[in-house]
Amino acid sequence: MSQTASAGQTPAPVAELESTPAVLAASARGQAAAALVASLGKAARAFTLYDPGNALVHQFLGEYHARAEAATSEGDVELAVRPFDLMLGSEVVYREQDRERSLAFKLYKDGVRILTFARGVVSDELVRLLQILAIRFIGVRQAEDDIVTLLRKAEFRSITFEAVEGYAPEDEVPELSIRRRGGEPPPGFDTPFPKLPAPGPIAFSPIPEDALATLRAEEAPEALAPSGVRLAAELVAWGARGAVPAAEVAQFCAEVRDYMVADHQLGMLGALADLAHRQAPGPLRDQLLRGLADARLLDAVIASLPESGGELPAEALQLVPFVPAGSVMDRIAAEQSPERRAVLLGVVAARLPADAEAVTARLGKLPADLARAVLALLAQKAPDHADRASMALLEHADPGLQIDALRALAGSGQSIPTAPLLKLLSSPDEAIRIATAQALEHHGDTHAARAVAEALTGRKSYSRAEALALGRALGSLHAGAALRLFEGWLEHKRRLLGALRVTEHEELLRWAAVAGLGVIPGPEAEQRLEEVAKWADDELRRHVHGTVGRRRAEGRRHG
Amino acid sequence: MDELIQAQRDLARALGRARAGEDRDLAQKVRESGEQVAHMLAGLLKLTRVHAPDNKAFDMPVAEFARGLSSLLDLLGTVHLVTVEDQVYVNDVRIRSEAKTGSHELGPELHRHDCGGLSFHVPLSDPAIRALVRELVAPPAGDARRAALVARLQAAGLTTVEPAGIFRLRLEEGDEPRSPDAAIRRILGLVAETWGNLQDGRALNPLPLRRGVLEVLDAGLGAPAFWGGFPSDAAPHAVHATEVAMVALLVAREAGFSSGFLQDLGIAALLHDAGYLCPGIGEGPAAFARHSLEGARVILRQRGFQEAKIRRLRAVLEHHRDFATPHARPTPGGAILRMAEDYANVARLFGGRVLRADGLGAMLKGAGTLYHPVLVQVMVNALGRHPPGTLLELEDGRYARVAAPARSRELWDRPLVRPLDPRTREQQPEIVDLAKGPRIRRAVPG
Repeated sequence: MSQTASAGQTPAPVAELESTPAVLAASARGQAAAALVASLGKAARAFTLYDPGNALVHQFLGEYHARAEAATSEGDVELAVRPFDLMLGSEVVYREQDRERSLAFKLYKDGVRILTFARGVVSDELVRLLQILAIRFIGVRQAEDDIVTLLRKAEFRSITFEAVEGYAPEDEVPELSIRRRGGEPPPGFDTPFPKLPAPGPIAFSPIPEDALATLRAEEAPEALAPSGVRLAAELVAWGARGAVPAAEVAQFCAEVRDYMVADHQLGMLGALADLAHRQAPGPLRDQLLRGLADARLLDAVIASLPESGGELPAEALQLVPFVPAGSVMDRIAAEQSPERRAVLLGVVAARLPADAEAVTARLGKLPADLARAVLALLAQKAPDHADRASMALLEHADPGLQIDALRALAGSGQSIPTAPLLKLLSSPDEAIRIATAQALEHHGDTHAARAVAEALTGRKSYSRAEALALGRALGSLHAGAALRLFEGWLEHKRRLLGALRVTEHEELLRWAAVAGLGVIPGPEAEQRLEEVAKWADDELRRHVHGTVGRRRAEGRRHG
Repeated sequence: MDELIQAQRDLARALGRARAGEDRDLAQKVRESGEQVAHMLAGLLKLTRVHAPDNKAFDMPVAEFARGLSSLLDLLGTVHLVTVEDQVYVNDVRIRSEAKTGSHELGPELHRHDCGGLSFHVPLSDPAIRALVRELVAPPAGDARRAALVARLQAAGLTTVEPAGIFRLRLEEGDEPRSPDAAIRRILGLVAETWGNLQDGRALNPLPLRRGVLEVLDAGLGAPAFWGGFPSDAAPHAVHATEVAMVALLVAREAGFSSGFLQDLGIAALLHDAGYLCPGIGEGPAAFARHSLEGARVILRQRGFQEAKIRRLRAVLEHHRDFATPHARPTPGGAILRMAEDYANVARLFGGRVLRADGLGAMLKGAGTLYHPVLVQVMVNALGRHPPGTLLELEDGRYARVAAPARSRELWDRPLVRPLDPRTREQQPEIVDLAKGPRIRRAVPG
């Protein structure tokens, strides 16, 4: 039994269901009947609040059965239905004045006036009665049936009812005159009449029961799904000939899909999908494909997955192209089983590159391991979206993932918006700040140069590695401004000032400036480095020499 | 498996089917949009106390009402705004009106026209909304106020807005089931009304038809009122639809189909020719060829997936389809409707010169090609040696018309009849049971 997240954690609805309708019954039979209808009403209304698989629904169902058994153990329970009351003889066994909550009102409004549970009422019929009432409580688009027509269809043996016309205009009969005779068939309708054979004799001939049973089976509820698909195929064929607008056909196919999903008819859903795929390219095919794509299909696909994961059944694979990857992404994080996760990732992969945008948008909410897996899929199947995926991960809670994303961005040849990167310059994690600086080295602008310079000068304490990364970034982003800044940072303090020891921060700025000069093209930068080497201490000099060496090597590489 | 768990699973599946296509929060969406629409409509009516509906002051609220209504229609297909005493409902979802006086005032405004609600079938344009407001605030006219309002709305081109009567919960309705005569009047009226609604672009409302079919089934298909002598003021197409429905129901019941199937088939039969309402369908063979598909399109307009809708669609789409059509053999519902339709048309078009029994004999020969081989014999068994409406000459010299279908295998060739008045040749009310009465000399066309 499944239990939705919303269920069981919401005390308010439970309290609402527990609010017992007023009961004035004093006799034992009356009280037993009251317990029966209270449990029936509670169970029926529970479906408005909970998933049918919820544990509370299970509990209410059990109570309902027990109360029904108790109430009917000694005889029939015949309930008279009033607008807000249910009566057993002269005793009120149920009273609820709120029309939307009232079981009595639902019955009364649809015309039920007497409802009788026979002694030893059949369990299966109790469930089906509950089903009818629950449908009336939960459904909104209900032009097709009311309680009376549903009860008649159910053909109960141990639950009987009497009904009248219920919720009808009070002046229906006097206003009959308003029933206009509008709309007539054309003259000579239903002609030409088909040619019939010459008449033969007729005689009564008994029909074998098995022949009739075969006929009835064709119209049984179990045949509804294939019948719906067959009808869809016919309408699609008419649509292909232009006799039915594509939008009408697509709307119907979507309705069939919803039913198949609700009824877990995977095979039929596959057939429906196949129907769309088989159409020639054109507006009808496009509308069918668009119309069939729906997040609810994921329910059917997931339902087909074995608990242990493994391969999707072939029928489910047919549906994958219609499952929006966004809905899979919404679901995948909650999936506990690694095997089932792997299958869901397969569905995401199949939807790429078409759904790359939706996948990317949800990437940031995935746990790190899943996000990495999806990132790899994007890189493979939708490389054009790789940068957007990396951007989506910049604010991910996992620092490792953030660094991966920054490194990926650093290597990208595309233009990247700098604003999200600049935010990371103040990350509490040094590794992230360094990776950000490295990414900015390739994707920054003048505005970014200012931010990098502020990062160098604003904080007094950071590592040498960070200073180098920021210095290189600054040099790359705005050579002119950088040269001016570096000039100041690398000024050789002579005489009295030279005797003073430079601060730690000034030292870091020197290191940053040397690194930055290393990426600024032109002889001026190299000349400046050589000048620094003349007065620098051993450590800084080694840094200068290393930088010059790298700079020359890079210069040779780039010709 | 635990019986309760199985029951719970069955319930889950049934409820899932019932609300297929409905969002979990559909009721909430309807409640919110419905509240807006009811409130805006009440506000528009109130605004007429200060401004005429064509005043610019209406521009914004009219636009908002149009948007709200359009969004509700998108969700529901048809919007039924109903006031019951002090409460307002949109398609059975109660609208919160405690805090806002606007929707409270809607009921009294509508009641002035003896009207308890409005059904909206399509979105309304700005001028249409202003016209609606103008007609709703106009003084009620005459004794039949709702009829007068309907007429004014029609004249204003608002055929897709349908006023409903005042709804009240009556404690005393009388427990007597409707008589067969009353049931047939009701069915005929409902068919005529449904055709009118469809012609005006309104969505199909199958529930009253279903209740009508149930009344017929409750009264018993053997009732003579269902087999002829229909009220003379009935619309001919309604008579035809009802005749087809009776034959179809009789055959389906004889074949042992469920109550649910009978209800669905009955509705399909009552609607089977609605495709003729398609604009520009023309006449003759062209109209004949198109009307089944157009009828199915009428049914397609109903929103959502229901078992009944599928059966109805199939039956209407297939109701002229030959049984032996390659790759497209009709379903039992379609096959029954095809037989019932052809039988009713034989009687309607050729009854003056062809015996109904001969029509059946010809159809029986078409078993397996034109008609379902089993069902056509079921129809023969059910209608009898002398099907209802057949003119018989009795051995006592009287003439009589068969009043009802066969009652049993034993009485298959000895039906109930209504003798004709020898002078006027009108049927007399008296029913004669030929199992007890005079023998049949011969059947006569006519």
